[in-house]
Amino acid sequence: MRHGHGWWLLAPALLLLFVAFILPVGTMVPMSFRPYVPLVGITGGFTARHYVKLVTDSYYLEIIGRTLGLGLIVTGSTLVIGYPLAFFLARTRSRWRSWLTILVVFPLMLNLVVRTFGWIALLAQNGLVNQALQALGVVDGPVKLLFNFVGVFIGLTHIFLPFMVLVLIGAIQNIPRDVEDAARVLGASWGSAFFRVTLPLSAPGILSGSILVFVLTISALVTPRLLGGPTYQVMSTLIYDEFLQRLNWPAGSAQSLLLTVMVLTLVYLSSRLARRTGTGA
Amino acid sequence: MTAARVRTWLLRGWVALVLGFLTLPAVVIALASFSRTSYLTVPPRGLTLRWFAAVLGDAEYVHAIGFSVVLALVATIGSVGAGVAASFALIRRRVAGGAGVAALLNAPLVFPGVVVGVALLQFYAMVHANGTFVGLAVAHMVITVPYVVRAVTASLQGIDPELEDAARVLGASGPIAFFAVTLPLIRPGVAAGALFSFIVSFDNVPVSIFLLGAGQMTLPVKIFSAIEYGVDPSIAAISTMLIVLTGVGLAVAERWIGFHRFV
Repeated sequence: MRHGHGWWLLAPALLLLFVAFILPVGTMVPMSFRPYVPLVGITGGFTARHYVKLVTDSYYLEIIGRTLGLGLIVTGSTLVIGYPLAFFLARTRSRWRSWLTILVVFPLMLNLVVRTFGWIALLAQNGLVNQALQALGVVDGPVKLLFNFVGVFIGLTHIFLPFMVLVLIGAIQNIPRDVEDAARVLGASWGSAFFRVTLPLSAPGILSGSILVFVLTISALVTPRLLGGPTYQVMSTLIYDEFLQRLNWPAGSAQSLLLTVMVLTLVYLSSRLARRTGTGA
Repeated sequence: MTAARVRTWLLRGWVALVLGFLTLPAVVIALASFSRTSYLTVPPRGLTLRWFAAVLGDAEYVHAIGFSVVLALVATIGSVGAGVAASFALIRRRVAGGAGVAALLNAPLVFPGVVVGVALLQFYAMVHANGTFVGLAVAHMVITVPYVVRAVTASLQGIDPELEDAARVLGASGPIAFFAVTLPLIRPGVAAGALFSFIVSFDNVPVSIFLLGAGQMTLPVKIFSAIEYGVDPSIAAISTMLIVLTGVGLAVAERWIGFHRFV
């Protein structure tokens, strides 16, 4: 193993990141303190107004709260829906296992806009879900499933479920089957073996899967935009409008930095937590 | 053991339900794209290929497909070059501060896509690089390089460094040892990284949408704006083409390199 020479090999990647990532994100910091006058644009000077508005104005607080709420509930739903599937795929000896896993990977690889479009077709007024609900007599007339919480929630759960499942498969595979068998031999019922042995041992996977899905959910743009429409806003779609429609770059920069700080704080805390519990999650 | 059997079947039932939920949108789109109606409907009424013909006869769609492919190829070549070199430095050369560098290389993956997009929009406007193909390609390299680094470092960690040392002892120079010994051994990792790169670039919306200049249009952004404008079966037709391509590509990649191990 030789030392040196390494930096030359790193140079292209580091240069790329410096020019097209660190510098651009860095310039958002001064931009977020610039005043913005409607119909005039960005002016000289210094103001903390954009940040103050973000944490005091009820319009922004509602959007921030909604973003975090969606993050929590989507994380919870992917965990509950995905855990049994991950458990099955991690433990099955079926020869179909790798192809069933590919079925989980497939939606992940499929274009995000296409997947979201599928939910528009499913959740529309005359869509398949409404047809099914009416045929089953659950509802009398079509229910509004798009451009509100329901649509965005279903879409995001579908989009991020594969991430949760794949992380959990890895975690559950790391638990030796013998540990469960030992618990059963010692007289534990299936339920208590699962809830007192398997589930706690997969906690690192649950933690990293949850952080991943939460972070992806609060960062998502395409799905909330298409299924939530222009009125059901989350932080990403707010930033999108601020930059492309209202052209208020300083406010958009402040919102972007707030979202970034939220994401990075979570990622940092989870890595600290993983290190403290001695797991490599 | 009836309780155990019930449990097994309950679990299998749940697995089938969830896998069904995961594939449902793709199935619905594929069905809707064959409908004769000019609005989106499932199950399809009648059977026609006219929406596929409409898409392939639409100059805007054809241009967007070509533009996306070229962009994804350029981004992939760039990020594979930079990513393989960086991975090799991190795993084999043990550069000082390697952990920090690795975290930095991974950062564009952690940052919200929309933030990377608007940051570059602002920055390119400042340095007068907005609307350029180079700017767009560089942006795509930033978001694809982490995938290459992840796949290639995983591959490199599984290769005994003594193989390369043996080649050096036998008189091969550093680059020759790398290209003749190490690179063939990590080929599955490089292939997986390149494939990820291509897909991530080809699918990207949150970065592209802020950086596209006049006359530039990627396929996903085109579909995105078409949906915002109004839903019709030609969107289902182009989506169906992507579904088939993704499915075939994934099946080939699975047989070829055991793709699911790299996800």
